[in-house]
Amino acid sequence: MKIVVILGRVLDPAGIVVNRRRGRIFVNREEYVMQPADACALEAALQIKDGSDAEVIALPRGLLPDDDDVLRQALSVGADRAVNFVGRIGNPPYGDGVMARVLAAAIERLGETDLILTGATTLDTGQGQLGPRLAGVLGWPQVVDAWAVRVAGDHVETVCHIPPPLRGGLGGGNPYTILEVDLSAVVTVHPGALKLRYPDGARLINVYRDEKAVEAWVVTDLVSEEALQPLLEKRGRDFPPERERSVRLEGAPQEVVQVLASELRKRVG
Amino acid sequence: MDFAFSTEHRALRRLIREFAENEVEPLAAEIDREGRVPFETLGKLGQIGLLGVCFPQEYGGMGAGEIGYCILMEELGRVCTSTATTVGAHIGIGAMSIYLDGNEEQKRKYLTPLARGEKIGAFVLTEANAGSDAAAIRTRAVREGDSYILDGTKTFNTNGSFADIVTVLAVTDPTLGARGGITAFIVESDMPGFQVGTHENKMGIRGSSTAELIFEEVRVPQENVLGNVGEGFVSFMKTLDLGRLTLGAACLGGAQAALDWSVRWARTRRQFGEELAHKQSVQWMIADMATQVEALRSLVYRVAWMVDTGQPFTQMAAMCKLYGSEVASRAIDVALQIHGGLGLSRDFLIERFFRDARIAEIFEGTNEIQRIVIANNIFRRHGVRIRP
Repeated sequence: MKIVVILGRVLDPAGIVVNRRRGRIFVNREEYVMQPADACALEAALQIKDGSDAEVIALPRGLLPDDDDVLRQALSVGADRAVNFVGRIGNPPYGDGVMARVLAAAIERLGETDLILTGATTLDTGQGQLGPRLAGVLGWPQVVDAWAVRVAGDHVETVCHIPPPLRGGLGGGNPYTILEVDLSAVVTVHPGALKLRYPDGARLINVYRDEKAVEAWVVTDLVSEEALQPLLEKRGRDFPPERERSVRLEGAPQEVVQVLASELRKRVG
Repeated sequence: MDFAFSTEHRALRRLIREFAENEVEPLAAEIDREGRVPFETLGKLGQIGLLGVCFPQEYGGMGAGEIGYCILMEELGRVCTSTATTVGAHIGIGAMSIYLDGNEEQKRKYLTPLARGEKIGAFVLTEANAGSDAAAIRTRAVREGDSYILDGTKTFNTNGSFADIVTVLAVTDPTLGARGGITAFIVESDMPGFQVGTHENKMGIRGSSTAELIFEEVRVPQENVLGNVGEGFVSFMKTLDLGRLTLGAACLGGAQAALDWSVRWARTRRQFGEELAHKQSVQWMIADMATQVEALRSLVYRVAWMVDTGQPFTQMAAMCKLYGSEVASRAIDVALQIHGGLGLSRDFLIERFFRDARIAEIFEGTNEIQRIVIANNIFRRHGVRIRP
């Protein structure tokens, strides 16, 4: 069985200080960590591997300069292979639409992949499009935001949290529902669903010392220049009009009501 | 010059920091309050391989060198001095003495399970009348056939109460003194005659165990002599040199923590209509603290690099321990001052760090001994020999 896990990085929130009074965010330690939801997806893959002969392969969720690091983290906790995309690093910043094409081509090159796991959402942008878009490009079934993932025969069994307003014909009661889809499939994992295991220390040291631990695939060997064209174009920024500040009325109730009524009459005209 | 950490050491620090914050810090107050050793944490540290962080992989270690070990001690020292002390006694002096002077067979038999965390080690040197004057030990080892019979009592043994393997210093020839008359041995705690005596009730590092060990006619096979007969004192001093470096690293962690709390508190605590950060008296305290912490960091990792590259480091390691312990004590004292009355409260962790910091100026050679070591190394190059 072949499981592909798609991993990204995010600025470590522990190195960020929020100054509410000044309304600003300060980065006092610029370090990157694995996207928390992606880490859960990786743990889900490793748990499947623990009880089987599955092969776990890590791929990056973007074309970013330091993604090599999250891929090495994956190797150090037990992934069998890691492949990074090189050649067109970060310029322009590719969106999930383009990345879905690149990843689909990479998965085709890997061959006979049964399951793709990735995070259901990213910590920095709050987006969760990559999994569904990739499933769309590949034409595979998908489950989003799973809390647990288990492979049983030729299908994958997931536990998803579906709150009552969204349950439709699923009935009430327990908001957790088991959803099954046939393999091959894409499953995105809820952030916090699982805790990524600690790596074996010696393996970690060896993975980071080995310059060739992560394979490098040239992006343009996988997809055409046309496929790398962004699907979205940024044309500017627009914000809603600034809200008027409210006024606090003080005094006896009778007086307050009179002032309020007169103010409202003025506004209504 | 290159002051940057390698990619593997950066990855190692990330792993250790995550472990320290998730597994060590949540227990720190509890183990201090209950005066218990966090065995559950030791088990997890062993599983990851951190209890053999600096030893070669062929002996079950991680192979991260002395820099890796300093990273471990710094990150543990940042959250829990007791755990750092227990780990330091296990790796830095217990297992390290076997790594430095053990023969191949001893390394396979004893160092490997210690590095894997399957067994815990301790370093047994101090006696009631032999503290700083370590050569004044009275524990005897008398040759009998193909064994030595050990008799004596050792005090202030970190990890001694639960260690599986201890390295012990004993007098084999009273006529020869420290140079030639003292030998180091590897002793297993299940050898008949090995007993745990009184447990110390300490002011600080209460989450570590310090106990008396009694050796009553303990028969130790000759193959458990560590290094050469008569060279144990030199062997133990060599181990302590390395222990001093990593003690400096643990102090660096404590001092960094004190600085971090102080900055956080000064940023949020308002007095006289503004945050403490705007008070020059507090700014200067924090500026001094940050300068000393950075100076200590440079010293610690420079000496770790010297060890990893095979350079002489005795004098510099003594400086790490001396400067590190004094910087940590001062930083935590200043942090307490910045926090005012709340710093004394047991609900804040500064009080625990304040109690824990004091021992660093005493154990692994008092700071007075460190000054002698440093001065001795300086004057020796000028043809002057200093006697302690």
